Amino acid sequence: MPNLDAVSRELMLDSLREYAKRRLPFDYLRENDEKNRFPEEILREMYDIDVMGIHLLLIPKEYGGLGGSTFDIYRVCEALARIDLGVATSVFATFLGTDPLKVGGTEEQKKKWMSRIANEKLLVAYAATEADAGSDLVNLRTRAEHITKNGKLVGYKINGNKQWISNGGVADILTVLALAPGGPSWFIVEKTAEGFSANKHEDKHGIRLSNTAGLSFDDVIVPADQLIGEAEGQGLSQAQAVFGYTRLMVAAFGLGAGWEALETAIRYSQQRIQAGGQLSEKQGYTHKLLVPHAVRLTAARAYIEEVANKLDGGDHGLQTEGAIGKYYATEAGNKAAEDSIQALGGYGYTRDFSPEKIKRDVKITCIYEGTNEIMEMTICRGRWQEHLKSRGGYYAAIASEMDALHASSPDVGADACACGLRALGRVLEECRVQKLTRHQHVMFSLGSLIAEAEVAAAMCRVAASKNPSPTHRLDRDALKAIARVSARESAFNLASKGLKLVTGSAPAGVGALAEGMELPQIEAKQHGNTADMDLIAAKLNEYFKAK
Amino acid sequence: MRIAVCIKQVPDSTRVKVDPQTGTLIRAGVPSILNPYDHYALEQALKLKKHHAGAELIVLSMGPPQAVSIMRLALALGADKGILLSDRAFAGSDTWATSYALALGLRKIGHIDLVLCGQMAIDGDTAQTGPAIAQQLRIPQITFCDSVSVSGRKLTAKQHIDGGHQVVEAALPVLCTMTMPHDYQPAYPAFLKIMQAQDKPFETWTAQDIGADTSCLGLEGSPTRVDRIFAPPAREKGEVFEGGAAELAQKLLEILRQENVLKP
Ligand SMILES: Cc1cc2nc3c(=O)[nH]c(=O)nc-3n(C[C@H](O)[C@H](O)[C@H](O)COP(=O)(O)OP(=O)(O)OC[C@H]3O[C@@H](n4cnc5c(N)ncnc54)[C@H](O)[C@@H]3O)c2cc1C
Repeated sequence: MPNLDAVSRELMLDSLREYAKRRLPFDYLRENDEKNRFPEEILREMYDIDVMGIHLLLIPKEYGGLGGSTFDIYRVCEALARIDLGVATSVFATFLGTDPLKVGGTEEQKKKWMSRIANEKLLVAYAATEADAGSDLVNLRTRAEHITKNGKLVGYKINGNKQWISNGGVADILTVLALAPGGPSWFIVEKTAEGFSANKHEDKHGIRLSNTAGLSFDDVIVPADQLIGEAEGQGLSQAQAVFGYTRLMVAAFGLGAGWEALETAIRYSQQRIQAGGQLSEKQGYTHKLLVPHAVRLTAARAYIEEVANKLDGGDHGLQTEGAIGKYYATEAGNKAAEDSIQALGGYGYTRDFSPEKIKRDVKITCIYEGTNEIMEMTICRGRWQEHLKSRGGYYAAIASEMDALHASSPDVGADACACGLRALGRVLEECRVQKLTRHQHVMFSLGSLIAEAEVAAAMCRVAASKNPSPTHRLDRDALKAIARVSARESAFNLASKGLKLVTGSAPAGVGALAEGMELPQIEAKQHGNTADMDLIAAKLNEYFKAK
Repeated sequence: MRIAVCIKQVPDSTRVKVDPQTGTLIRAGVPSILNPYDHYALEQALKLKKHHAGAELIVLSMGPPQAVSIMRLALALGADKGILLSDRAFAGSDTWATSYALALGLRKIGHIDLVLCGQMAIDGDTAQTGPAIAQQLRIPQITFCDSVSVSGRKLTAKQHIDGGHQVVEAALPVLCTMTMPHDYQPAYPAFLKIMQAQDKPFETWTAQDIGADTSCLGLEGSPTRVDRIFAPPAREKGEVFEGGAAELAQKLLEILRQENVLKP
């Protein structure tokens, strides 16, 4: 069987959306949200291969799945997030739960468990987090001891507790991270195992349709062949190996939830009349509450797709890129949801309208799969290495690429983007010379600036391309204006925030840094920004018409 | 038995707005879908296929290359083969030129027992293409059918008429246009079926492939001229009278005289 093509992918998204329209209308979601109820019947239906079989996407073809690409799965994650982030999280937990197996499982293990997951509508959970092991798994307490028989290892006895495990109370099988004598390792545990129990469904701020529970393992015995990879101590590297990919999926959640909220606000603004006209015609409203979010979310998509295509093209890992995608898109989604409440005014503050729920739901994307602060750290560490390896040339090279892009496509803001990237390179270099990354604040802030710079560059590439991806749902003029606004904003932030950061932490002052930052050029490039925002606002009204 | 279903890709008209100034449709951001009447016709054909062992179901469409997506949808739902008539020469065809091309496509497919079409496409609402195909193929037609069944060489159709329905019989081959119930919810395929549809036979035929006379296609071959498109003015609410039969009859007579419909 060949890989899924784009036509099939779009049809799958149609099937998913149609299903949601019928089975998951807002009132239904709202009721379950209020009752803090996990809609198990929905999940089982979505995993029914005759109804939808959404989980088949993540299962390789040789085990009866569809072997979906990163791009396919990003699109489905986005669509799920637009429906309900709780349901999306439940599906995602199955994706996550099978990942250690996919990465580290033996052929026999993959065959056995993947085929069962494909055919038996099994819900899966991924259990890593513990009370004292969150962002940092070093303090992992759950243990797996050897059980031997006649001197031969036959199994493991697991003891310990897990916390905040999605699908924890409802999963049929769980992949559990535990400390074996040889180091952290993943184990497959079936919910029927003696000594295993799940606590109550947590009462959460959002994603209330997703079951989240603590787990207890009290002398739970698993056979030796349920140690993933049948070698101990591989757990952390197996988890790390998929972070590039899994974090991109959480990025897709931020993107989907953010757009859903934003579109609701855009459509609302065309119907709401205040002070003699539609809100959608009022700049003070659109340029604060709508346009900046459309810019950020569009740029986030540009970046996510760039990374997805790289992963599908055979690049491995891409941990820093996954972190950038997750950080940028979830922050963008969270802010868009927040402002959508504002955009609906008093209505936005009630539970009768979706932004209120989306806002509560989307916050989790800034926390799970590595908090966004951990993302800032990961991003900075990854790129810091590149900066050192290239002797400061890493961002200079991307800046040159942007200069070249500007020469062939002068209307996508690549010139401003290049100024920003050069400024970033200088800031990094100054931080190296003055050893400023010993300040955690500097490191994390650099992570944030790096994300902004790289996302802006991805947006310029999309706007300059002859065939921008139709997933953007906006025409090229709109995409170009978005690229210009995003490039100007990033250049401005990189220069001014970068300077502030260095000035604020450097004992010896910043010397000539400010002169090298091209501040006058960056200011000059802001020219035309309001007109571009006007254009984007008009396009949003054209493309997202009120029903 | 061999069944052909004619299907069309249309903009989701529930999401299309009319520009009040120009009267043209605003299509920006509007997704394309399988015409719902065709979707229903396809589902009826799939039912027939299920009841008739060995039956073959072919879907035929005329449209741009992007119409491959409705072909795939039909194949994923259970059609056996898809044929897309796609050629610049077809662009701008009205219902007459379209039915000419589709009839040629059906001829090229060869022996067909039953042709199903949707009653109309939601982007044009003409309900002409189905009947015109039957005319060009010189086979009988039954329009506005809720359902059809086949026994031997005889087709029985439940035809929708004002205030009810009638049962009509015809000998195969025949063309039926299908009308969907108001609460119709189209079926959508599971993911695995969508994947499998990638491997089903699918062909694209040009005007030359079907032996069409290009002067009968496109704008040149289309007798229809669009004079003007406009949104009709909203109808005003009528007056409601209540009372006994005699009283109301008297009132009616009065109004008819007032409005000069009847001479006083
Ligand atoms: C609804 C929900 C579902 C979840 N699902 C799963 C699941 O399915 N499987 C699973 O294994 N886990 C799951 N988790 C756990 C989740 O991944 C963790 O909550 C997350 O990794 C953060 O860990 P923590 O909660 O212990 O916070 P902490 O690590 O204690 O972080 C608290 C705060 O401190 C910051 N911080 C942490 N470390 C540092 C540092 N070194 N420097 C500076 N700041 C720092 C963080 O950014 C955060 O702001 C889920 C959590 C929730 C809430």
